[in-house]
Amino acid sequence: MDGINKLLVTIGRSVGGVVGTLYQAGRDSVDTTIRNVIPFMAFISFIIGLILATGVGTVIAEGISGTANNIVGLLIVSVVCAIPILSPLLGPGAVIAQIVGTLVGTEIGRGNIPPQLALPALFAINPQVGCDFIPVGLALGEAEPETVEVGVPAVLFSRLITGPLSVVIAYFASFGLYTSN
Amino acid sequence: MTETLAHWAEVFIGVFNQGGQVLLSLMGGILPTLVVLLTAVNALIRLIGPEKIEGLGRAAAQPGIQWYPVRYMVLPFLAVFFLTNPMAYTMGRFLPERFKPAFYDSAVSFVHPILGIFPHANPGELFVYAGIAAGITTLGFGLGDLAVRYLLVGLVVIFIRGIVTETITRIMLARKENA
Repeated sequence: MDGINKLLVTIGRSVGGVVGTLYQAGRDSVDTTIRNVIPFMAFISFIIGLILATGVGTVIAEGISGTANNIVGLLIVSVVCAIPILSPLLGPGAVIAQIVGTLVGTEIGRGNIPPQLALPALFAINPQVGCDFIPVGLALGEAEPETVEVGVPAVLFSRLITGPLSVVIAYFASFGLYTSN
Repeated sequence: MTETLAHWAEVFIGVFNQGGQVLLSLMGGILPTLVVLLTAVNALIRLIGPEKIEGLGRAAAQPGIQWYPVRYMVLPFLAVFFLTNPMAYTMGRFLPERFKPAFYDSAVSFVHPILGIFPHANPGELFVYAGIAAGITTLGFGLGDLAVRYLLVGLVVIFIRGIVTETITRIMLARKENA
C-alpha cells in the first residue's frame, strides 16, 4: 500500500511540475507579447499607415527604394550604420533597424526592391546591433573595467570591417533566393 | 473651403484606417503563432534548465584554434537560444578577459538572425526580421528559405565577427601594456 501511495505521489508531483512549467511559460509569453510585441506592432502599423495613405511617405520610400534596390546602395547603408560615432546612437532597442526594416519590407512588397535583396538588406540595416549596449553587455559577462575600456572601441572598429563584409556574404548567399518563377 | 477641410479630414482618418488594417493583419497573422511558439520554447527551456550550457562555456574558454567555432558559433547560438537577449551575454563570465569583447560582439550579432526561426530569443525586436519578411509575404513567397539563410549567414557572420574583434582586442591590449 505504501508503495502505491509513493508511486501516486511521484506521478502527481511530476505531472503537476510539467503542467506548472507549461502554465508559467504561457504566462511569460503572453507577458512579453503584451509588453514588448504588441506596442511595437501598433507603432509599426502607424508608420506603415502613414506611408501607404499619404504622400509624405512616398518621399522617404523613394529614397529608401532608390538606395536599397542594389548591392552598392546596401553597402553604403551598412558603412554608414557602422561608423563608430553613429553606431551607438543608432543602436538603442533596435528601433532604427526595425523602422528601416519595415520600410524596406514595404518597398519589397510593392515591387520596388527585388525580393532576393531581402537577405543582404537584413544585414545592411543592422551593423550597429548592440553597439549601444557594449559596456552593459560586458558587465553582464563580469568583465573588468580595463576590458570594457578596450572592448568598446574594439567592437566599434570591428563593425567597420564586419558590417560591410556581412552584406557581401549575405549577397552571395542570396543567389537563387526567390528568383524561380 | 469646406471641401478642402473635408478632404484633409479624410486623409487624416485614412492614415489611421490604413494603419488599423495593418495592425489587424499583424495581430491575426503572426501574433497567435508567436504566442504559442513562445510558450512551447519557454517551457522547453524551463524543463531542460538553462544552466546545462555552462559546461560548454568553460570548454569554450580554452585556447587553440579548434575552440574558435565553439566560442564564436556554438556558444553564442546556445546562449541566445536558451538565455535569450540580454541574459545571453552572462555566458561571457566563463571566458578569460581577452575573449569577452569578442564573445559579446558575436552573441549580440546573433539576436536578430535567430528571429526567423526562433522568435522567442528576442521578441521585442522582432521587426528587424519581420518588417522585411512582411514584404516577401506580400509577394506571395514562403518565408522558410529566407529564415534559414538568415540564420546560416548569421552564424558565419558572428564567427568572423568574433575572430576580427578578438584580434583587434589583442592588438589594443598589447598597445596598452607597452604604453
